[in-house]
Amino acid sequence: MKKKGLMDHIFGAHNYEDFYNPKRQAKIKDLGDGKVKVLVWELPVRIWHWVNFLAIIVLMFTGLYIALAFSSARFETHATDFLMGWLRWVHFVTGFVFMAALLFRIYWTFVGNRYTTFDIYKPGFIRGLWESLKFYIFLPNKKPHTIGHNALAQFAYWIFFGLCSIILSITGLYMFFEPQQGTHFMMNTYILGWVPHVFGNSVKLHIWHQGAAWGTMIFMVAHIYLAFREDYLVRE
Amino acid sequence: MEKKSVFQSAIERGVSRRDFLKMCTALAATMGLEFSQTDKVVNAMETKEKVPVIWLQFQDCTGCSESFIRSSHPTTESVVLDLISLEYSEVLSAASGHQVEEAMEAVIEHYKGKYILATEGSIPEDGIYCMVGGKPANEIYERVAKNALAVIAYGSCSAWGGIAGAKPNPTNAKPVTAFDSGDTPVMIVPGCPPISEVMTGVIAHYLTFGILPELDGFGRPKAFYKHRIHDKCNRRAYFDAGLFVESFDDEASKQGYCLYKVGCKGPTTYNSCMEMRWNGGTSMPILSGNPCIGCSEDGFWDAGSFTERLADIPLPQKIATVDPAVIGGVVTGVATAAVVAHGAATAVKKNIDDKKNTHEDH
Repeated sequence: MKKKGLMDHIFGAHNYEDFYNPKRQAKIKDLGDGKVKVLVWELPVRIWHWVNFLAIIVLMFTGLYIALAFSSARFETHATDFLMGWLRWVHFVTGFVFMAALLFRIYWTFVGNRYTTFDIYKPGFIRGLWESLKFYIFLPNKKPHTIGHNALAQFAYWIFFGLCSIILSITGLYMFFEPQQGTHFMMNTYILGWVPHVFGNSVKLHIWHQGAAWGTMIFMVAHIYLAFREDYLVRE
Repeated sequence: MEKKSVFQSAIERGVSRRDFLKMCTALAATMGLEFSQTDKVVNAMETKEKVPVIWLQFQDCTGCSESFIRSSHPTTESVVLDLISLEYSEVLSAASGHQVEEAMEAVIEHYKGKYILATEGSIPEDGIYCMVGGKPANEIYERVAKNALAVIAYGSCSAWGGIAGAKPNPTNAKPVTAFDSGDTPVMIVPGCPPISEVMTGVIAHYLTFGILPELDGFGRPKAFYKHRIHDKCNRRAYFDAGLFVESFDDEASKQGYCLYKVGCKGPTTYNSCMEMRWNGGTSMPILSGNPCIGCSEDGFWDAGSFTERLADIPLPQKIATVDPAVIGGVVTGVATAAVVAHGAATAVKKNIDDKKNTHEDH
C-alpha cells in the first residue's frame, strides 16, 4: 500500500477497503454467477438496532408525557391513580435498556466487523462526505458505491446520534439520581459530580436532555427516509 | 474589646438560663442535629465568644437583610445580640458614615482571620457601578474577604449573580465567587431571599462546631440544599397520579392538585422551603397554591415566565424564552416536511432519468 500524503487524505478517493483491518472482514457468501453477498450487519448489530429502536420509541412517548403532562385533570380520582409515576418508571427502566444497548454498541465498535467502526481519520473521508452530500441534493456526483455506510451517514451517526445518545444518557442518569443529591455517588467528581459543572444546573440539564431527545427524533426522520430512498434508487 | 462568651452576654442582657437553653435547643433543631446533641450547642455557647460579623451589601435589594431580621428560631435579637457581634451592616448599624467605616477597619485589624464576612448582592466586574464609602465593590470585597475566616454569600445575587446579573446584565454583575477571596472558604446560601432560619442556622453551625457546615459541589450547605422542593412536596402524590392544575382558577387548583403545568420549578430547585417553610414555619408558596419560582437556582430570573415550566431557550432578541418542546416539535415537523419534499423530488428525478435511459436504449 502506497503511503498517502495530507492532500490524498482530504481529497483522495473515497475507498477505505485498503485501510480496513484485514482481521475484521465481513462474512461473504458466494452467490455464484460472479456475484457475492456481503453480510455487512452482523446479528448482534441487528439486534442492537431494533432494541434501540423500541427503546427510543418508548422513551420518546413517555418522555413527552413527563415533559408536557398533557392528560387533563379528572375529579373522580381513585386510590390507584399513578399515571405519571408509571410512565416515569417505564421511562427509567427503558432508559437503562437504552444505556446498556449504547455501551454494547460502543464495545462492538472494537470487536465487530469492519463496518461497525468509523473512518473519520481515514484518507478520502472528507471527499466522501462532499460527494455523498451532492448525491443527496441531486447534484451530479462521484459518490462511490459503498458497502456499509457512506461518509455522510457515518458522520451523522457518530456526531449526531452518538453524541445525542451520550448526552441523553449522562443527563438522564444525573436527573435520575437527583433525589439522592447528598450521596457520595452524586458528589464524587469521578462519578457524577462533574455533570452539573459541564451542563449547568437542574433546569439546564432538563433542557440539554430534551434538546438531545429532539436531536434523535430529527435523526430518526432522516434515517428512516434515507433508508427507503436508498432502496428505491438502488433497486434494480 | 472585652471577650465574653455567648452565654455571658445573654445573661447580662437579662435572658434567663431557661430561655438560653431553649434558644440552644431551637438552634440544634435548625441545624438538623439530633436532640441528644443539644448539649454540644449549649457547651459551645457557654465557652465560645461571640463571632464578629461584617455584613457587606453590594448590588442588592436588602431583601436578604429583611429575611434575616425575620428569623424566629432562633429569634433575630438573640442572633444579633447574643450569637454574633454585628460590627458592620448598612441596614442594622446604628453608626454611619466614616465612623462605621472605621469600625470595619478595626475589626479587620483586631480580628484578622477570625471574623465572618456575610455578603449580600452581586459585584459588578469593574466595581465602578457599585461604590461604597468611595471604594469600588470588588476592592472592598477582596480586601475584607482575604482577611476573613469565612465568607457566607447570602442570596441568589451573591451566590449566582441573581437579578443584577440577569440579561442583559448592564453592569456585568458577577457572584462573589468570581472574585479573589484568597484562602478564605466561601459558602453560598442562595435564595431570593434565603430562608431566615437557614441564614442564622449556618452561623450557628459555625459557632457550635468551629467549622463551616458540609458543602455540596456548588458550595451550598448540604443540610439545607441537598433535596429538591419536588422531592419533599406535599403535592407530590398528585404529580405521581398525573393530576395537574391547568389554570389558577380551575377546579383542580381548588382541589390542590400538582402545580407542574402552571410552571412549578420545584422539580429543578434545591432548597429547604418544604421542610423549613417561611415566616416562622407558617407556609411556603406551593402550600398557598402558587408554583415554586426556583429562586435559589442559578439564572432563575432568565429561565422564562414564572408560570411556564421549562422555557429557557432564549429567542434572538433575548427578551423572551421558549419551551424546548416547542422548538423540538417545530424543527422535527420541518424536518418531516423537508423529507416529504425531498422524497417527491427523488421520485421525479428518477422518473426523468429512467425515461432518458430508455430513450437512449432505443
